[in-house]
Parts: sequence; C-alpha cells; structure tokens
Amino acid sequence: MLKYLAKRGITYVFMIFLTTSAGYFLAVTSLKPALLEQERIPRPTPEQVANSMRLKGLDPGLSPWERYVDWLTGIVTRWDWGRSPNGAYINAEFGDRVWISTRLFLGAIILTLVIGVALGVYSAARQYKYQDRIITSYSYLAYIVPAPIAYFLVQLGAINVNETVGERIFFVTGISTPGMEPGWPQFVDMLAHYAVPTIAITLVGWGSYQIAQRQYLLDNVNADFVRTARAKGLTRNQAITRHALRVSFIPVAQSIAFTIPAIFAGGFFAEKIFAWPGVGSWSIDAISLQDVNAATATLAYGSVIFALGAILADFATTLVDPRVRVQ
Amino acid sequence: MSSETYLEPADSRPSPADRLHIAGLDRSLPMDGAVLSVRDLNVRFNTENGLVHAVRGVDFDLMPGKTLGIVGESGSGKSVTSLAIMGLLPTTADVSGSVMLKGKELLGLNDKAMCAYRGNDIAMVFQDPLSSLTPVYTVGAQITEALTIHNPTMSKQAKEARAVELLSMVGIPSPKDRLRAFPHEFSGGMRQRVMIAIAIANNPRVLVADEPTTALDVTIQAQVLEVLHTAQEETGAAVVMITHDLGVVAGMADDIMVMYAGKPVETGGVDDIYYNPRMPYTMGLLGAVPRVDVAEKASLVPIEGIPPNLVRTPTGCSFAPRCPLVSEACLNGEPALAPVPGGALHRAACIKSASLGADVDVHEVFSAPPRPESRFDLIPREERRAVLQLKDVRKHFPLTKGALLKRRIGTVKAVDGLSFDIREGECFSIVGESGSGKTTTLLEIMEFHSDQDGEVVIGGISNKDAADAKTKSAMRKELQMVFQDPTGALDPRFTVYEVLAEPLQNAGLAKPAIRKRIMELMELVGLQPDHVNRFPNQFSGGQRQRVGIARALAVNPRLVVLDEPVSALDVSVQAGVINLLDKLRAELGLSYLLVAHDLSVVRHISNRVAVMYLGKIVEIGEVDRVFDNPRHPYTRALLSAIPVPDPHLERTRERIILQGDLPSPLEAPKGCNFATRCPVFAALPAAKKEQCLTLEPPLEYDPPSAAAQALEAGPVPAPDQQFACFFPDGELDEDMLVVHETADHDAP
Amino acid sequence: MTNLNAVDAAAVAEEAHLQNADVVIGKSTIIFRRFMRNKTAVAGLVVFLGLTVFSFVGGFFTPWDKETIDPFNIAMPPSGEHFLGTSQAGIDLYAMTVEGTRISILIGLIVGLVSVLIAAVYGCTMAYFGGKVDKVMLFVLEALIMMPALLVVAVATSGGGAGLKRDLPSWLLLIIVLLVFSWMGTARLIRSLSMSLMQRDYVKAAQYMGVPPRRIVWRHLVPNIGSLLVLDITRGVTGAVLAEVAFSFIGIGIKVPDVSLGVLIGSATSQVQTFPWMFWVPLTVMFLLTGSLAMMNDGLRDAFDPSSSSIGSARKNSAKKKQA
Repeated sequence: MLKYLAKRGITYVFMIFLTTSAGYFLAVTSLKPALLEQERIPRPTPEQVANSMRLKGLDPGLSPWERYVDWLTGIVTRWDWGRSPNGAYINAEFGDRVWISTRLFLGAIILTLVIGVALGVYSAARQYKYQDRIITSYSYLAYIVPAPIAYFLVQLGAINVNETVGERIFFVTGISTPGMEPGWPQFVDMLAHYAVPTIAITLVGWGSYQIAQRQYLLDNVNADFVRTARAKGLTRNQAITRHALRVSFIPVAQSIAFTIPAIFAGGFFAEKIFAWPGVGSWSIDAISLQDVNAATATLAYGSVIFALGAILADFATTLVDPRVRVQ
Repeated sequence: MSSETYLEPADSRPSPADRLHIAGLDRSLPMDGAVLSVRDLNVRFNTENGLVHAVRGVDFDLMPGKTLGIVGESGSGKSVTSLAIMGLLPTTADVSGSVMLKGKELLGLNDKAMCAYRGNDIAMVFQDPLSSLTPVYTVGAQITEALTIHNPTMSKQAKEARAVELLSMVGIPSPKDRLRAFPHEFSGGMRQRVMIAIAIANNPRVLVADEPTTALDVTIQAQVLEVLHTAQEETGAAVVMITHDLGVVAGMADDIMVMYAGKPVETGGVDDIYYNPRMPYTMGLLGAVPRVDVAEKASLVPIEGIPPNLVRTPTGCSFAPRCPLVSEACLNGEPALAPVPGGALHRAACIKSASLGADVDVHEVFSAPPRPESRFDLIPREERRAVLQLKDVRKHFPLTKGALLKRRIGTVKAVDGLSFDIREGECFSIVGESGSGKTTTLLEIMEFHSDQDGEVVIGGISNKDAADAKTKSAMRKELQMVFQDPTGALDPRFTVYEVLAEPLQNAGLAKPAIRKRIMELMELVGLQPDHVNRFPNQFSGGQRQRVGIARALAVNPRLVVLDEPVSALDVSVQAGVINLLDKLRAELGLSYLLVAHDLSVVRHISNRVAVMYLGKIVEIGEVDRVFDNPRHPYTRALLSAIPVPDPHLERTRERIILQGDLPSPLEAPKGCNFATRCPVFAALPAAKKEQCLTLEPPLEYDPPSAAAQALEAGPVPAPDQQFACFFPDGELDEDMLVVHETADHDAP
Repeated sequence: MTNLNAVDAAAVAEEAHLQNADVVIGKSTIIFRRFMRNKTAVAGLVVFLGLTVFSFVGGFFTPWDKETIDPFNIAMPPSGEHFLGTSQAGIDLYAMTVEGTRISILIGLIVGLVSVLIAAVYGCTMAYFGGKVDKVMLFVLEALIMMPALLVVAVATSGGGAGLKRDLPSWLLLIIVLLVFSWMGTARLIRSLSMSLMQRDYVKAAQYMGVPPRRIVWRHLVPNIGSLLVLDITRGVTGAVLAEVAFSFIGIGIKVPDVSLGVLIGSATSQVQTFPWMFWVPLTVMFLLTGSLAMMNDGLRDAFDPSSSSIGSARKNSAKKKQA
C-alpha cells in the first residue's frame, strides 16, 4: 500500500513539475512587470527599471529559458521561489497566505462533505417524498448558479441581516478585526468573520455531494447483498444502513479527489469576494500586478492541492473498499 | 387459484374431507406436521403496463426434513414465490393467500415482525454468490451478524467458534483464517458455501434455495449440492429447492412442483413427475433436456412460442398456445390442479392428463423432427477435408507482481500445446471448467495472429500467412462465430436487417442480393421474414440467438464457432436452437467448433469431444466413446458431476466430488496438472504418485491389450480416443466418492 | 444464466403492444417522443430557444444600442424609453442585455460543442489505440486537469503585453482558454465508455467478420456513445455559460467594452442597493439560460436512459426481482 502511494506520489511530483514549468513559461512570456513600473510617477527611465528588475531577479533582458533556469535553480538549491516586482519575497508572503486559505477552506470542506453526504443519505431514504424533492431541487439549483454570484448573494443576505438587526453581527469581508483582545472577544470576532464565507462555500458546495451520495445509495438499496442481509433477519432499514450505506461510500470517497481542488478553485472567488488575503486572491492580484513569480507559485500550489486530493482519494478508497487493499 | 378470479371446475367430486386431508388435497387446512404450508399464494405487481399477476395460486405443504423442488423457466413465478414466502418482495407487491410456518401465519407480518423468522426459522440461499455477499465486510463478520441478530446474548467467543464450525461444515479449508477474508478473496463456489453457512447459522427449519448452483461450474455445482445435502442432514431442515434444471433436483427432491406462467401445473412425488408426467408442459421440459448418460440420437423436444404475458388474465389453459395437444376445450377456462388417475398425491392441471402418462412418447406428442443426417456422415472421417487444424497452439500470459518494478512471478499457461483438427461436416466440442482455456482457444483461432506460438490452419490457409488483408478476409469467410449472450452480440441500435446486412455488405454484395440473402437467412433459421425491421430487444432470447446464427451463416462459412450458444437460454427454447443447429449442420454441410460447459448438450450435438484442463487436452475422441468409457479421471469426474433427470439413477449412482476449485496456475505441479485434485492420484501408492508429479503424461491412444491383438491376429485400428493419464481406470479415492443412501426416498 | 431470456413482464406487454400496432419505431423517434413527453424538458427547450431568438432579434425593438450614451438618462430605472433602465454611463440596459445574452449563448454553444468534439476525438483515439499511446495521452490529460484553469484564464486575458489580447476580442480569447480546459472530463468518460464498447460481443462479431476498424468505430462506437455526447454538449454549454459569468464577474473574463451577462452582473454589484434593476435583470436572464439548459439536460438524460420509467420500447434486461 505504501509502495503504491509512493508510486502515485512520484507521478504527481512529475506532473506538478510539468504544470508549474508550463505555467512559468506562460507567465514569463505574457506578464511584463516592467510595463507597470514605467507607469509610476515620476516616470523612471528604462535603465532604472531594468536595473531594479535585475536586482529582484526579474531581468526582462534575459530570454524566458534563461529566466526559467535561474528560477528553477533558486527553488532546487535554496527553496527560493523568487521575488515580486515590489521586492517582496515570495516565500515569506506565501506562508501567511497558505495559512489563511487553509483556515478558511478546511472548515468549509469538512462541512460540505458532511452535509452533502448526510443529506444524500436522508434524501435517498425518502426517495420521491417531498423532503427528497426539496433537497434535490436545491442541489440542482446550486448547480446553475456560478459560485461567485452565490457568494455575493450570501454576502448581500448577511448585510441585510446586519441591517435588520441594526447591529454588526457578521463581518462580510476580511479575516479579523485588528486590535481585538485575546480570548473570548477574539474568538467571537473570529466567528463573526468566518461565518459568512464558510456558510457561502458550504451552501454552494454540498449540492453535488448530495446528488452523488443519493444516487449511489439508491443504486445499492436493491443490491443482492442487501437482500441477503434482510434474509438473515435484518429489517430493510437496518440492512440498508449497515450494508448498502457502507458500499455507497466507495464512489463518494473516490470523488474527493475532485472536490478539494474544486473548493480551492472556488476559493479564488470566495477570497476575492470576501476580501480574504489568501492564495486565491493573491494569484489574481499577482496577475494584475504582472508578478511572474507569485503567479507561478500559486499555480504550483494549485497543482499540489490537486495531487494531495488525488492521493487522499486513493487513500480513502483503500480505507472503505477492501477489494483494492490487496496488491 | 384464487376462487374469486377463477371458476372452480365442476369435476371436484365431493369426497370425505379427511381422505382429502390425508392426501394433501384439502387446500383449506395445512397438513398435520407440515413445517411450511402455503395456501393460495398470489402475487401481483403494479407496473406501468398494468397489473402483472406473477404468482397465481400456489399451494404446497413441506414436511420436516423433506425437499420440495420447484421447477420452472424464467418468468414462471418460482423466484417470486420464494421471495413472497420470505417476505422479501418490494412493498409495492400485492401478496395474498397464506404462508404458515410451524403453524404461524407469516403473510401480513410487517418487516420487523418478519425479521424474527427470517434467518432463524426460515433461511434462504440466493442465486448469484458473487453479488450476494457485502463486499466491504469480512466473511466472518457476515456470518456472526446472522448469529447476533437472533442470539443477542451470545458471547463473542461463542459466535466465533460457531462461525468456524459453520465454515468447516460447508467445507471451507482452514476456516479460522478464512473468517477474516473478504468475499472477493473467495471463488464463486466458495462464496456460495459461505452463503449456505450463513443460511444454516441458526439451524433453520426451512431452507429456501433459489437456483443455488446456476452460476457455477458442474464440478462446483456437484460440490455445492453436496454441501446443501450435508447442511440438510446436519440441521434437519426442510428444503425448498428452486431450479430450472430438472437434473439438479432429480436426486435431491422428494416432491416436485412444476410451475408455468405463475401457476403450478403439475405436482407430485419425484418419481411421478419424472416417470409419469401428466401435463404436456412437464413432458416437453423432460424431453427438451438432452441426456449426458445416453447416446440418444433423436431430436430434442422443442416447445415453440414464448410464455404468456401475465398482464392479461388467461381465459384458457395458459400453456394452450404452445401445447401440441391443444383443443377447443383447453381454451375454455383454466384447468385446475386435479389428481391424476392412479396417483393420490400426483396432480396435474390438464384436462387431458388421464390420457397422458409414462407410455406416451413425448417425441410424438411434440412432433419432434427426425434427427437430420449430414451427407458427410456416410463418408469416413479420414476421407473428409480438414476445415480447421490447430498445431501445438500456445498462449502464455506473464503473471507479474509489484507496483513500481514489475517482477515476473510466473506464467499463466492459458493454452498449452493444443493440437486437433476438425473435418468437414463434423461437430467438435471442447469442454472443461471455466478457467480451463476453452475461451482462450477460441480467441486464438478467431484473432489470426501471425506471430502465434503454434499454427492455426483455416481452410488450408495458415495464420502464419495471414499478413495481408486479402488472405485474412479469405480466412474470415471460412469461419464465423456465434456468441454466448445473444443480447450482447447484437448492436441494440441495429435492426435485424442491418445486423444481417453487415457481413454481406462487408463481403461486397449488391443491395438486391443482400435483401434476397437476408430473406433466405431468416427463413433458414426459422424466423418470420417480415420481422427484419425489428430491433433485437423486440425478440425473445431464443429468437435473438437465431439472429446471431443467421448472421454467422450469412457469408456461407464452412466452419461455425459456437461459444456456449445455448447456455443463456431457457430449457424449452434451448431445445429449439439445438435442433436448428443440428438441422443446419446436416443441410448446409457445416462443421462446428462448440465450446460448452453443459456436457449433455455436447453429447447430443457433437461427433468428437476434447476435455480441457488448465490449458491442455486431457482426453479427446469420439463423443460416445469418451462419454461411455471415460479413461481420464478428470473426464470421469466431470461426467459424474452432471446431474441427470432420472431420480432412480441420481439416487443410486456413485458420484466423484472433486476437491476444491481449479488450482491457480502458479500451483500447477511439474508433472500432471490434475494431480492436485485427482481422485485416482489420491488413492495411488506413494511410488506411483511420484510418476504423476514428475512426468507429464502424454496424450496417447490406449494401447490395445495383447489379448485383443492376438485375437484379431494383426494390427488393430486404435479406437478414436486419446487421453493423458498414466493410470486410467485407476481405483478412486474413497473420500471423493459419494453415494446417497436412498432407502427412505422410496418410502411414501 | 437463465435470467437472460427472463421476459420482463413490462417488456412483454410493450412487445405485445408493438405487435398489435405493427409499427417499428426507430430509436431516435422514441427518444424524441420521450423528450417531448417530459414537460420540464420541453419548457427548458422553449425558454432556451426564446432566449436565443431574443438575443438575435431583441435589438430591433429599441432604438438604443450598447454603445450610445443617453446623456439625459443616467442610471435611470426602467421606463418607456429605456425598457430596463440605463447604466451609470447612460447606456440602455435592454440593449446591453440583448448583446450580453448573445455573447453568453455564443460562448456557451461554441465551447460546449467544440469541447465535446475534441473530447470525442481524443477519447476515441485513446480507446482505439490503447497501450503506450493511451498512457501518454492520459498523462497529458491528467496534467491538464491539474492546471488551475482559472489562473490561466486570468493570465491569458490580462497579460499586459500579450499580442493575443490586442488582436482578439476578449470573448474570443475566453472561448479559446475555456476550450483548452473544458474537454478533459468528457474525454476521460468517452475513453472508458469506448473501451468497454470495444469489448462488446457485437463489436467482436464485426471484427471477426472482417469489418474494417474505421467502419466499426463509425457504425458501432459512435452511435452508442452518441447519447453521452448529446448529454455532454448540453452540460458543456451550461458549464461554459457559468464559467463565463463567474470569470467576468470577478473581472478576469470578458472585459469592457465587450458585454456579457457576467460583465453586466459584475459591474452592477457595487450598486446593488441603489440600482437593483442593473443587478437583477441580467441575473434573471442568466438563471433562465442556465436553468433552461439544466432542464433540457435532465429531460435528455431521461429520454436516453434505457431503464427510464418513461414508457418506451427500450427494454430492461437486468435481472429484476419480479422475474422468476
């Protein structure tokens, strides 16, 4: 098993390398930080710009290949992902932002999975009853709303709540209020900041899980092994919860691979709309600031998340399905 | 027969109630001491097309320790009956009547109340062992679950001990370790044993087995039937055995109920049904099955038509549309199940039952066609041209292990040095268990690899020369294939016309010629020519297989490869297809290469047969010679494993039960492949065993004995039978022989 | 084993019905009829066609266009002159909605159709050749899945000096980028489906008859994955419309002066409290568009599903409980 995971890991490292390299070339050929520098006031001379860029390792005079080799050497030898046009070091910035993104998404991912799967099971058990119809219709509705618009609508809703109550219950942007006393006030403040984005991401995300879990469970409800379990003396509901449910988790576990990156991708939108300074909003800002190294770093991060998701899915599958355990 | 729906026939004579009661005919009261009594069981399903009346008035009494066989084809309502008894039908089904278990009514109990009985007093074994166990739980957990449900106070150790005991009872080696194994680590036969272990866990009074061996190989079927027998002996349970195979129940059952269109049409003791059938359907079913033990060369009895649609209530006998004896009176009201003259417990639902019986020839009744003769039958085999020759064909697959670096840990010799030839006009069959290499052999023949290990010569052209497309298409014209699953073999989006046109277009025929040929073909295989515009799903299984045969014949091949052509078909339909194949061989002078697991079919249709085991031919020769006088122990075991629809014979004959499954290719010994399971080998003295283990027995003719040679005074032509065994006709190991004591069977 | 010719009662009834009527209906007719019987699907189709027609001819009903500024009506609510009011720049919102709808539908249709085409070719090639070709192509496919599409969209549409940007309108650029990242899932599905189809007996039968591979692919593979393709086209169109709106909404997709539903919705977010019509009108149009597509998709899926409960002649052969 470990061997298998190791093998998958190596494949993914190779893939990450490829996508990141491809991303670097795309960025280095299309992003021109020097152009932005020239718009400064007072307007610097081209020599000044080139000089400042060269100091930050962003020499526009070098060919993309030469810059790629420099950049790669930096990463391999010093784990240095380069600098931004404003002189900031990518590594330093990156750490903070990954932490912010992870904090935001971890809760949302867990909630999405748990609520989606639970509602899927519930609606399958009440197939074609009104509960099922409401839950499933909601999931289809969530499917036809673009994520950022849904987030925006949730944000509007939160603002409305605040206005109705006449007090600021939810913060709809930002991660924390500066200068809060540690302890209880800080905790409340954190909750007030987390609530809206977490709810928004969860509301949009669970639909696909609900539909998938409902379908897989329904596929298994009439399986032969459920009939066997009933023939042993279990009631229909017992047989379904003890046997069908467990089997229906297998394909859901496999699909985790695609959720985690999907939620992080949705994270670009969420961070943008809720103004969280995470990796997602950084990547978009980086592009508008013509920041080659930051853009590439975020792209690499996206690939890593995807690979982690895929490996996690393999792992989860092995956990729930004994058939893939051997060999 | 629910009285509100059907008129009771007027001839139910008033007799003393107690006499009827003793005779088991009083349908109002359960028989004294019956462990399971079913009365007037009716099941209706509401479908979009209307109410389907799937089971219509089933009555029976099951005495403790006895076995009732319910026989019928698909759609006859036999499985629905069993599920209704178990209370496992979907809630949408409307079930009425009465099911009494030990005097307690089961029908109408809710799911929860029913659970007290299910798995406790009444248990069930299902058809498909591969899907009937939950894949994510260990076998041990699934057995203990059955124990926990009904014995909540039982200790963990006690449960585990009982699980081990159960597993060893059903013949699973090293049961203690196997408890922790998952279902996918077991073969199909082993999983069915686990199913039986689960079913008998709580010593049920009634065990319902729904086609428990249908999906299994014959050798494994024999093992599982044996396990069921043991289980019945150990628990003293009464068994309801549901099957479509009249052979399977012949040796086991005490009573038989034949079902047709949801209704019992004949019931009685096993001997009554097999030797003295009184209902044309039963007679037809018995005549439709070929026998493996007799060299009968008469045609099989085909039952034309398809079972009726159960959406409409039959106004007459439901079998009337297919019955050769149908008359005006048959269409007038559905006949009730009435006692037949001379048998108190024997009842049949036929107004003509009095005139039928043991002395009526079923072939005459169903006007079975005479068995056609091929023009080649008169020419000696040696003088006929070979249409297919295999010379030392091999197919080895590397077996690798390891994720990162693939290590070769062995070789699977799927086909290992196969040589045989097929002459014009003959049917050559290959038999063996699944995994013996039959299918791989067919693929090797059909694929025309030019880099083949060995040589395949088709119509005089070797596959070594089949490099260019022209040679290949010349070879393709010589041989065509008919597939096992008639549904999968026809593109669902093609009409029959398009299906049949495909090979003809490919052969470059013009449109008018194609049309003409298709009409010919439809007629040839016995389909209505005006059905050409239908889609495959509008035909029954048998008709679809006929389309498949027509497609194979389209380009006039000399050799047709038949891959299990009838195994997916119902018995009555199967007979029609076999007769058709017989007729086509004779009329068109075709040769067949038949692969089948059903040895009865093989015996009926083929001239020569090869028995394969782990990629090798272990015995080959003229079919009657091989089947009547098998020399290789494997052939002997295979033949003895086939159940025969003859209760007397089944009860008394000695049966060889092979141990275990086909071994994994890695475990194959250096010498004879079969040694690990060989009943002769097991009984050999150690010195002789050595020979089997180290030397590979060659495939050879039996040297005629010196005495015979002296008598003939000259070289005797060797009979057409070769086998690969050092000790043919050796003593068999006692442990692998089973004879059922049957004295009690004959007693009333 | 006997289950195969276990005659499903429903199918038998259907058969009898067919025999009595003595008509043989083609599969496409059946699918069409089933689709038309599905009220939701038909409603979806009507709405979608209505929107499409509106996006092409809607412009003729107003004298305003998406560029002309009406200096007397700036940020006005709907009125007789401006059906849906005007933007803060004084541009007629109705004219912009018509234009935006057209661009969004165009993006959806092009991306949906072309990506399924790419997926079909790519997937079938993988399945047909198998072996090494399959491995390499699968690797490329997975690597593409790993690329965060959004970043590439952002880079491509906002790259300062990119020559592309100067030569192409932003909607065309978006189409190209969306195309590159939208076909992989479908391709993988088509690959596995084709692979299983290649194993079917009827494909084998055709091979053993000597039917050339090209013909087998065309006659047996393509029609049998056809339903999947049609479904994926509707799904792809929906996905592309959603992606356009999402990207434009946060400002990295279509850029002004080009208009699309996403641009309209996005630019109205800051004044949603003060000028609600600017936000809700394009949002409603987007809902109608994606909703109608989803409804059609649902109806098509039902119509194609051979086990669908919708009455038709497709017969369920799986072993069901009611068979004996």
